[in-house]
Amino acid sequence: MDPRPLVLALPKGRILDEVMPVLARIGIVPEPDFERDSSRKLRFSTNIPGLEIIRVRSFDVATFVAFGAAELGVAGSDVLMEFNYSELYSPLDLGIGRCHISVAEPAALVDADAPQQWSHVRVATKYPEITKAYFAARGVQAECVKLNGALELAPTLGLCERIVDLVSTGATLRANGLVEVARIADVSSRLIVNRTALKTRSDELTAWIDRFAEVTRARAA
Amino acid sequence: MSNASVPPAPAPPSLAPSAPTLLPTGLRDALPPEAEHQAACVVALLRGFADEGYERVEPPLVEFEESLLADADSSVARQTFRLMDPVSQRMMGVRPDMTIQVARIATSRLAHRPRPLRLAYAGDVLRVKGSQLQPQRQFTQVGVELIGAASVSADVEVIRCALEGLSGLGVAGLTVDLTVAALVPNLFDLYALPAGQRQAVRAALDRKDAAAAAAQAGPLADLLTGLLAATGPARAALMLLTSLDLPDAVQPLRQDLADVATALLQQVPQVGLTIDPIEGRGFEYHTGVGFTLFARNVRGELGRGGRYQAGPQQGQAEASTGVTLYMDAILPAVPAPPPRQRLYLPAGTPVEVGRSARAEGWVTIAGLDPLEAVDETATRLNCRAIFRGGHIIELKERA
Repeated sequence: MDPRPLVLALPKGRILDEVMPVLARIGIVPEPDFERDSSRKLRFSTNIPGLEIIRVRSFDVATFVAFGAAELGVAGSDVLMEFNYSELYSPLDLGIGRCHISVAEPAALVDADAPQQWSHVRVATKYPEITKAYFAARGVQAECVKLNGALELAPTLGLCERIVDLVSTGATLRANGLVEVARIADVSSRLIVNRTALKTRSDELTAWIDRFAEVTRARAA
Repeated sequence: MSNASVPPAPAPPSLAPSAPTLLPTGLRDALPPEAEHQAACVVALLRGFADEGYERVEPPLVEFEESLLADADSSVARQTFRLMDPVSQRMMGVRPDMTIQVARIATSRLAHRPRPLRLAYAGDVLRVKGSQLQPQRQFTQVGVELIGAASVSADVEVIRCALEGLSGLGVAGLTVDLTVAALVPNLFDLYALPAGQRQAVRAALDRKDAAAAAAQAGPLADLLTGLLAATGPARAALMLLTSLDLPDAVQPLRQDLADVATALLQQVPQVGLTIDPIEGRGFEYHTGVGFTLFARNVRGELGRGGRYQAGPQQGQAEASTGVTLYMDAILPAVPAPPPRQRLYLPAGTPVEVGRSARAEGWVTIAGLDPLEAVDETATRLNCRAIFRGGHIIELKERA
């Protein structure tokens, strides 16, 4: 028996609402404080001895798991693409948190635009690595302005002409006069596992991966 | 609300030039007692290897680029610091890894020595970038190479030597992960998968995403799904692996993996053993069984190795097996030795007193100033006892 509990890292916000039913079906019930927004705790016990949950920002889930601070986690494939951590496995597409990562620009710009002539673009994004790689593959140098939110404001106020961001319904884009012009990748949430942990605590972690897989298959069916 | 115990924030750092003590990224000073500890661990590992017939070689820190990178893949080349030799006007590289150097020695200067040839080495390497887990650019490698022996028993010997070295240092919860990196590329070839598809399948396999791998792999889908399932604790994974209907051409690879695993289960039963037949990252130039060493609750790999072709790509390349241990990853897993006891010898103490105290195991600190206040100096220099009046007197614990 390992003295260290297994730690499952979950992302705050949108995805968390979709993850909780999955956990419920697997039979993981966090302590009551987890549901209380007023709680200042960051680390929660569960009904399963030796399994803890932490709640961190979605970008940080991948970092916690890659460095072995958490053994398991749920992270969007957008985050995994951005960081490209070699110390992570993502064995399972949970099929939740579906959206895509796209390039968007003001509607007014679309008609006049000639992408084949670009050599350089300035893009506001939370995803500088994905953005640079996407444009570099098309022979375009992308100058990324890193923002952490309210990206849709950037083109309207003249910070840049384009943004690269997550799009689910497109409502926010439309409300800000932006149009999705290219889809970089489809995004969904993945179960992620620390590489060292999967090798050294193989039995425990394989069992958890299998349970997540069962529930995901049952949901899809 | 204020908290009296929190000091006020310092003035914001200026954008002035950095402090003179700043070292370049990924480089650090090792201090007492850590530096001593690392040196002692390296010596202990080498002694164990020497006891099993591995003889020490010491290649230079810098070599001509062509010989340093001759039979290496480009990922090693990208990690190499280069500098121009002002004497020969040729490009040199600082070694990013020592295996290639030892293989070069074995297949050139020691080509006439009888095979199998057992060589050991220890030294620092320098890399352009650290990894995500180990940001150090300079670190110590310790390893052995068993040259001119392509057999399961050679693989097992090298793995066992490394494990015994590590457990000798006190590293607990060791596990070995076995792979045959050549398996998946061979399957790609046998099924003539187009290059673009290979890349997508490889990426999915590296993530251990069975669904994505199967969706991309076409005729290989079932086999790859089977191989992914045959991953994990050795006994169960071996059963799944042997039940797979693999093409004849890759059956020897599977057999080697199974044989190495079976031998390890028998020879080092206390060590955790896992199998991962599709692991390929970092094993690009391995031709047979490859392995990675881990320990519970230690971040990252302690070492890795496997079978490869030593020497020039064409001609007299020799099948070999080796292991490289990474001291920066290993040290945190080694219990620190208790600090040695220090004895203060006031200035003027006869030399023989120091000699016999050291023979008894003391560390002696010689006083340099006959006029000093002996007790205070001894305490300040962290000594536990003083030699006074012909006796070793314990100092009282400070309150």
